[in-house]
Amino acid sequence: MNTRSLSFRLVAWYAGVLTVVFVLLGSLTFLFLRHYLEANLLDIQARRARQIADTLVAHARRDSEDAMRSQVENLYSPEVNDRFIRITRADDALVYASGAPKDGGFDPSQVPLPAAVPAGDSPRTVRRAGGGGLLIASVTATAADGTRYRVEVGTSGVAAADTLTQVLVMLAVGLPVAVAVAVAGGFVLVRRALEPVERITAKAEAITQHNLSERLPVVNSGDEIERLSLALNHMIARLEEAMRGSKQFVADASHELRTPLTVMRGELESLAQDSQLGRETRETLGSVLEEVERLGEIVESLFALSRLDAGEANAEWVRFDLAELAATTAEQMSLLAEDKHVSVDCDSTPGVTVEGDRARLKQVIVNLLDNAIKYTPSGGRVRLSVRREGRFALLDVADDGIGIPAEALPHVFKRFFRVDTSRSREQGGAGLGLAIVKSICSAHGAEVEVLSTPGRGSRFRVRQPLAGESAAAG
Amino acid sequence: MRLLLVEDEKKLSDLVARALRAERYAVDVADDGQRGWELADSYNYDLIILDLMLPALSGEEVLRRIRRKNQQVPILILTARDATEDKVHNFEAGADDYLTKPFAFAELIMRVKALLRRGPVTRASVLRVADLEVDRFSQQVRRGGRRIELTPKEYALLEYLAANPGRVFSRTMIIEHVWDQSFEGLTNIVDVYVRHLRSKVDDPFPVKLIRTVRGVGYGLGESSER
Repeated sequence: MNTRSLSFRLVAWYAGVLTVVFVLLGSLTFLFLRHYLEANLLDIQARRARQIADTLVAHARRDSEDAMRSQVENLYSPEVNDRFIRITRADDALVYASGAPKDGGFDPSQVPLPAAVPAGDSPRTVRRAGGGGLLIASVTATAADGTRYRVEVGTSGVAAADTLTQVLVMLAVGLPVAVAVAVAGGFVLVRRALEPVERITAKAEAITQHNLSERLPVVNSGDEIERLSLALNHMIARLEEAMRGSKQFVADASHELRTPLTVMRGELESLAQDSQLGRETRETLGSVLEEVERLGEIVESLFALSRLDAGEANAEWVRFDLAELAATTAEQMSLLAEDKHVSVDCDSTPGVTVEGDRARLKQVIVNLLDNAIKYTPSGGRVRLSVRREGRFALLDVADDGIGIPAEALPHVFKRFFRVDTSRSREQGGAGLGLAIVKSICSAHGAEVEVLSTPGRGSRFRVRQPLAGESAAAG
Repeated sequence: MRLLLVEDEKKLSDLVARALRAERYAVDVADDGQRGWELADSYNYDLIILDLMLPALSGEEVLRRIRRKNQQVPILILTARDATEDKVHNFEAGADDYLTKPFAFAELIMRVKALLRRGPVTRASVLRVADLEVDRFSQQVRRGGRRIELTPKEYALLEYLAANPGRVFSRTMIIEHVWDQSFEGLTNIVDVYVRHLRSKVDDPFPVKLIRTVRGVGYGLGESSER
């Protein structure tokens, strides 16, 4: 389980807070109940002690203490009722003490006397070893002859303790169960609430620049998630609009540039062939024409890219052998390499059938080879290979040229990117060759990647699904 | 020969008209679709050059109307759009040829000539430029009676230049005719081949036939202009 997921964190927090609240509530209940039970018992003891003091002690005399004793015994029978009754004179002389209770909960002879003679009624609790306690209320009374007595009445707290234990057990069992039920319920609830988020996420991940016309699912729940999906859809719509705008701009711009370029070229060409012009003028015209031609090539490349963006590449799809295409292309370009004293080795076994626009894929090979030849010094080697690997066709162009610095590698397929401005400019080209390679590959469901070690060479690799596979997938 | 040019870009139409007139064609120019259609409707032109993006009446509509009315007249389309679907669409609508801007004027003239000849072009089996002979049947090249061995690509390049002596071809044009479209932008390959060709065809001889016009391209033999 993903411990960082929203549902897990929500439920964990919820369970934590719930547990704390339950524990607090249980403790408070327990403490209050204990206090209430003890106060109640003490109150009863105090009333009984007052009763003994008022009815028996007040009328007794020092010489009738025996009668008082038997009266207490008869009226209250403390042993049977598990009570503790003790009467002492102010000088701590014992007058009466109840015997051991029937249940043996305490030993009356062991109950210590109050530390000081309290002024009036005073409740106290005598704790015993082994738990439980004796709740004792004591009152003072003055007998008819003026003798001052202290009456202590107590009872074992066992009954109260039993009740409290039961409550504690109930809380200890009930709390985890309640938390478990709440967590389970919360989990189901959170899951249901976040389920549309899962669907929105899956869909959002599937949307790329090629299917911006698609939208996220919207649940008409009226909640935050509906608002979120609507907001995301609006954002995708704005993105789509912006993408369409920029593609349209490139298409329009290259289109509009074509006519003036034609005029410029036409005028200049007819001028350049005028034999009456001086040599210097013709050289200047030639130089201008070269730039016009380069401008035209850039416009053509941009136009080609914008058409690839618009997905027009699949207009002329056929099945063909990529290995055979690579071999003939390498053959056609070998002279260009020879001229630079670079050797081109082609290693391809026929039978690597792919499906696509043959002319465009040839352009991929041409651009990659041209690139490799351009950046390989005299005496170097360029290796081209095509082979099958699983369900893919692998086209590999490796050179032992100058290589590409690591920081430039992620950018080589970007439009107008150049590793080194001065170097590329002198070699011609506008930094669109590899961008076109990338676009053609994307249109064919192929991936292109580059590895390079500066000073040792570069390797470009195109991975395209074999024909049977792409047909089955399409 | 009377040609109709329908093109709304004034400068471009002036330039094309001038180039065509230099080849001794009579040229009428219409600068919108409506006027183009009216002219095409009233005269029997030998060839119509039609831009697709036109005010008043679109090039497609003019093309459709001309074809509905007759006609055997060859139509060459000029356009800035070159998506294959567009091409197929316009060939179906009755265009005979198709040229994408920016084009070289030499290319335009060649296409016009090819369309005006119509049908199978009667091609000489042996092309002669000065003392150079290119035999199209045996694909053999001789200069001053001496046999010159060429690779197939070198031969194709030489034959292309020799078929239009005196004309200068841009490297892009040469690429399109001798190689194929995927080599677009790789114009330095032409320079390499021309250099190889020179070493075989020109270097052993005192008179140099292969001309370089900087910024324009390559040609064979003396300039035909002036």
